[in-house]
Amino acid sequence: MLKILKVMAASLTLGLLSALSAHAAVSCGDNSGKPATGEPIIIGAITGKTGPDDFSNSTKSALAYFNCLNANGGIKGRPVKYLVEDDQWNPETAAQLAAKLVNDQKAVLMVGNSSYVECGANAEFYKKAGIEVIAGVGVPRECFFAQNYAPTNAGPRVSMLGAMGYALDKLNAKSVACIGPNIPNVGTWSCDGVVSLAKEKGFKAETILMDPGSADATSIILKAAASKPDVIVLGMSKGVAVPLLTAAEEQGLNQTITFLSAASAYDLSVPATIGPAWDGKFFVNMEFNDLQATTPDNQNWLAVMDKYGQKSDPRDTFAQAGYLAARIAEKALMTLDPKNITRETVSAAVRQVKGFQSDIFCAPWYFGDGQPRHNANSSTRMAVSEGGKWKVVSDCAPSPDPELKDVRAFEATMK
Amino acid sequence: MNLLPFLISGLGIGAVYALSGVGLVILYRSTGVLNFAFGAIGALGAHVAWQLQQWQQPLAVAILAAVAVATAVSFLYGRVFAPLLSHRDTVVQAVGTVAPALFLIAVMGVIWGELPRRLQLPTDQMFLTLFGVRLTATRLIALALAILMVVAITLLLNRTRLGLDMRALANDRDLSAILGVRIRYTETAAWVITGVFAGLAGLLLADLVRLQGTFLTFLVIPAIAAAILGQLRSLTVTAIAGISVGVVEAALTPIDWVSSYRAAAPFVIALAAVMILGAMSITTLRDR
Repeated sequence: MLKILKVMAASLTLGLLSALSAHAAVSCGDNSGKPATGEPIIIGAITGKTGPDDFSNSTKSALAYFNCLNANGGIKGRPVKYLVEDDQWNPETAAQLAAKLVNDQKAVLMVGNSSYVECGANAEFYKKAGIEVIAGVGVPRECFFAQNYAPTNAGPRVSMLGAMGYALDKLNAKSVACIGPNIPNVGTWSCDGVVSLAKEKGFKAETILMDPGSADATSIILKAAASKPDVIVLGMSKGVAVPLLTAAEEQGLNQTITFLSAASAYDLSVPATIGPAWDGKFFVNMEFNDLQATTPDNQNWLAVMDKYGQKSDPRDTFAQAGYLAARIAEKALMTLDPKNITRETVSAAVRQVKGFQSDIFCAPWYFGDGQPRHNANSSTRMAVSEGGKWKVVSDCAPSPDPELKDVRAFEATMK
Repeated sequence: MNLLPFLISGLGIGAVYALSGVGLVILYRSTGVLNFAFGAIGALGAHVAWQLQQWQQPLAVAILAAVAVATAVSFLYGRVFAPLLSHRDTVVQAVGTVAPALFLIAVMGVIWGELPRRLQLPTDQMFLTLFGVRLTATRLIALALAILMVVAITLLLNRTRLGLDMRALANDRDLSAILGVRIRYTETAAWVITGVFAGLAGLLLADLVRLQGTFLTFLVIPAIAAAILGQLRSLTVTAIAGISVGVVEAALTPIDWVSSYRAAAPFVIALAAVMILGAMSITTLRDR
């Protein structure tokens, strides 16, 4: 009887604790609850809001965090003034907006940028202007091969190879077909990674590039299945991945081939959309922790969104990226004398960031001082579609992308 | 690589292009309007069907509602807005239909968003295997429907009073009015018929391709290509052209050097057709 009571008491306490953690107090700044009133620190961001897709969830989330920071002491009394601009998926607009933020508004740092076109358009400009970018989500190759641009996400290629690594290690795949979009520096870049890993490890790989605007998914799937691969990896956005999976199911391929995807198909709505035929058959890579993870920092992100964001702001991976970028910026700025916050001092502080801990990342994030390129987020998790939800099935594993050699070498010197 | 599987896979979508193309031609012949909103109207219907499925309504209700909504929207535009432009150039009338298309894209965006959805029909699970490809019952229905509608519309045009009026309008609008053809009535009937086509095509495309407002709206383009191949006049040629466009697009998949450009196939085909027809000066576009 006593034992039962003890167990009940224990479970009650646990229940209470988890209930408390679900409504955990928001943590940001110095947690003093005193609004910052000093001279604002100008931080800029460029995002692709209007256009083929809305990438602004990253900056919305970063804004929520900065609001929280400003309400809690700011950067040693100075609030952050966060200026977000929409590049409309137009490289020319992106360049004009960067000049406006950096030259006219005198931004000292860029935080949470997430744009399909901005990296190619602005990487050189940022380097010349001596401003650093702690980006949210980078997609094309240029975002990961620039001196002043460090995204918090892993990128489509690292993510796709994370999925490939899982297929090799856990699903014993011996052959693969890679389906990517025919967009330069995105689709080819990702699938080339799979091919070069195939050469290194000696498995069979085939690349199929498709026009994301094509209506005919069945033919693409038939072409991919023609070589009878063990697995098919997708590098498409969720809007294209879902029709591809539907076409594969129509052909009965979900019973013979395992499908995997880069993080671009990781959205909470996907498992329910594709339905029960894919339970245990469709794996997806995750650049960040599970969106609903009950770990402290992930819960803090959700709490910040609830208290300082808009109700309509999506709680997705882009938002996680923006939150992390804002927190990293906070960490760098806090090392400075509030009276001496200039672009030079901020850039120097950002370059020194290392060992940034968050349970949303797999490994501590660092900027990589002096490195010609940045890809600190290169360890990822996997989840599988099951019962209309994603079920996390793997611990963090380093992506086996052969192109990460320089990054791995730099990481070895940090230890 | 064996082409046969791809030919089979192109049949389904080709059939819907054919259906859409015929829907466009019947409207153009009676009213002189090339309806760019055709895809958007169909997409709206498909979204309504999806919503009803989410609300656990029977399939028949969902399908009927989709066609009813598409028809109603088409009727509304045809009755209220299209007559305001009826004395303008063909180009002005065609561009006018871009307005409802954009409006509907916005409405669908606000209500359902751009997240990918899946509209499923029970016929997706039934199939026969041909050359190693599963041809689902949905695709067979699309093919049958395309043929059935061509036959039905041909009969309508040749055997009924409404059909006679439509043909008269197509020939000479002013003369028909003098002869006592009820222009408003006939044109509205054409808008209703094209609305039914849009509803059916939208449902099928949402199932075969994807349920996404903007995407489905722009699938009107291959249908326009088919209609142009039929010189906006011949229902049979339009239907055959629609199926061909779908099959050609699919058959280009295994040919690596064109594979990633195959989405351009409908435009290239239509462009070539316009040039060839123009050069042979047998085009009858001007007097519809």
